[in-house]
Amino acid sequence: MRTKIDNDSHLLKEISKQLIARLKETGVEEDIIFDIHVGFEEALRNAMIHGNQNDPSKKVTVGYDLTDKSVTISVEDEGKGFDPEMLPDPTRQENLLKESGRGVYMMKHLMDDVTYENGGRKVVMVKHFDRKHR
Amino acid sequence: MQINLEEMGGISVFRVSGDIDINSSPDVKKSFDKAINAKKNKVVINLKDVGYVDSSGLATLVEIFKNLRSLGGKLKLTNLSGKVKGLFEITKLDKLFDILPEEKDAIASF
Repeated sequence: MRTKIDNDSHLLKEISKQLIARLKETGVEEDIIFDIHVGFEEALRNAMIHGNQNDPSKKVTVGYDLTDKSVTISVEDEGKGFDPEMLPDPTRQENLLKESGRGVYMMKHLMDDVTYENGGRKVVMVKHFDRKHR
Repeated sequence: MQINLEEMGGISVFRVSGDIDINSSPDVKKSFDKAINAKKNKVVINLKDVGYVDSSGLATLVEIFKNLRSLGGKLKLTNLSGKVKGLFEITKLDKLFDILPEEKDAIASF
């Protein structure tokens, strides 16, 4: 599946619901679906808010490939890009009270593989259905 | 998303149901801002019926925590599902928040 969506948080939920329904049909465990749900929506949220800066004229390109063993998700925005390595660690004591900066960290911990392309505008995430993180 | 508020002996118990996410977080924040003040600053949030929290939901809870602290109050979270509690653990917010298993434990702890 590959589509381009408007920069709208309600569309974010719509496309996320579609993926979750497909994962349920595939028989993926609830705990793993939860991780994908959070990881996918965080990637979409980052693309819309931080990448596209809530600009309604910009789009987010979303794709996912689903097999019976894994899902590979890609989310690409039309923003300036960023370096994920430069983000502060949100789990450090001095950052715990900050109200932002957790999304990228959560994606990294909930998905099995997270890579950035195109100067940080595109994130590709993989989740295997036979592995559990916690 | 729905929020039910019950006052129990000077403690405000909020029972939230639904997702706390990018779309509902502003409403969650408004509901708490309306109900919390310097006199009503002991708060329990029961998350029994919350199946999903994203980073904006966590940020909203951090904001509520900070507001209550500035009012000299305290916040306790209860009844988190295993997966939602896992998000607090990943982000180390379990070190910031007082998380208790049941609502009655939180009420008794004030």
